[in-house]
Amino acid sequence: MYTLDIHKAERKKILKTVLVYLILSVLAVVVDNVYALFGHGVRSASMSLMFLYLLLGGALGYFLLWLIAPGVYLSKWYRLGYNLYNSGIAALTVGGFFKGILDIAGTESDYTRMFSILGWGMTAAGLVVLIVSVINCCSKSEQQRGKTI
Amino acid sequence: MKIKQFFSKPYRWGVLFGGVLAIFFTYALLDTFVIPKALVSAEQSESYARDNQTATSDPAYGQSEAGQTNSGISQPSDDSAAEPSDQNTESAQSEQAEAVITDTSYSDENISITIETVREYDTTFYVADIEVSDASYLKTAFAQNTYGRNIKETTTDMAAENNSIFAINGDYYGFRDKGYVLRNGVLYRDVSNNAEALMIDSEGNFSIVQEGEISAQSLLDSGAMQILSFGPVLMENGEVMVTADSEVSQSMRSNPRTAIGQISERHYMIIVSDGRTSESAGLSLLELAEQFEKRGCSTAYNLDGGGSSVMYFNGNVINNPSNGRGNREREVSDIVYFGYS
Repeated sequence: MYTLDIHKAERKKILKTVLVYLILSVLAVVVDNVYALFGHGVRSASMSLMFLYLLLGGALGYFLLWLIAPGVYLSKWYRLGYNLYNSGIAALTVGGFFKGILDIAGTESDYTRMFSILGWGMTAAGLVVLIVSVINCCSKSEQQRGKTI
Repeated sequence: MKIKQFFSKPYRWGVLFGGVLAIFFTYALLDTFVIPKALVSAEQSESYARDNQTATSDPAYGQSEAGQTNSGISQPSDDSAAEPSDQNTESAQSEQAEAVITDTSYSDENISITIETVREYDTTFYVADIEVSDASYLKTAFAQNTYGRNIKETTTDMAAENNSIFAINGDYYGFRDKGYVLRNGVLYRDVSNNAEALMIDSEGNFSIVQEGEISAQSLLDSGAMQILSFGPVLMENGEVMVTADSEVSQSMRSNPRTAIGQISERHYMIIVSDGRTSESAGLSLLELAEQFEKRGCSTAYNLDGGGSSVMYFNGNVINNPSNGRGNREREVSDIVYFGYS
């Protein structure tokens, strides 16, 4: 009973991550609108769409993870994948904001490429590690089930 | 192992990476918008170009090669292209005569300027009609007399430092890494922006060139004295080149604007509009082009606008600059001016 309670609390951690990403998505939309307010109504697609990284990559991604492998957090690789993936999403979102600022100002910079390389690189690496965690988690479950039988 | 243990604790990685990302973001912003990067002094490069020209035209200096660059500076390989202008400059400077000056006009033997304030399209704009006896009275200047990125000064300060009679903001070249920069017969940047640029030749005539199709060096060799790279082209060969949908990058329809046009030989028209205020909405590019058309311009070109738009005349700012932080002049990279120095 006690172990089950711990597992329920741990499983909620992934849903908490989903919630945090949802809040950050809303915040990204607010930031875009506030920036447009002070930028004489000028908008940039990069800034307006930066919330998608958080919503699709973050909230939806972790929700799917929770559906597919709710016990993935038990894998020893999960923390590494979690850190890498979140960092990638953060770099992409900040990169989108940065590009938006440049677009609105009417200039360009090589730093946008650096944000993209960093962001996509970390997201891809994080995703690979998370997939490994999921596989690891699933195979362990199978083994435990086999032992029980 | 210790590192793994350190990062296995929640938030530690997040806090560290967040900090690094915030520092990188701040640095990227500062490097793009604030940190000045002086590449070359305009004074040095112009004197270098002059010296090299003397060297190439003087057999005693026969070893110098025209067209060679020093610190990225380039001069015409055919020295005949820029030579008349230098002679003109010297003669022009010695010809400054007594001027008749009012709040909206200036007139002497060589330069005649009349500024008219117009109210149309719910917008106030200022139309300057300028005639000069010699093309060398039309010049450009850099902020702090230096070519580089994020080297900035207000149009007023640059105009005063160059003893200009009349000045407007230029193309704000220092805000971008692309676009030809050729000023007063010296080439500073030969990187195409794949856009249409305004070329002013040594006779003071305007023409539109497509960057990328011809290099800035070739234009310099063919006699270009100035290249301004912003756009779009408002008028070419007497025809309006923009539509109601034309816009600069991400800009809104109505804006403060700065544009320059040519009516005939050494006869120019400059329009600067107020905008983004309750008193003055600002002009669309089509409205701006129509004003040039109405006044008989054959060529007209849009320059940097928005908060950069400034018209300076005889020590005063004529328009009401709007930079989004009150009615203060925005610092820019360069100006186009008329004057003797």
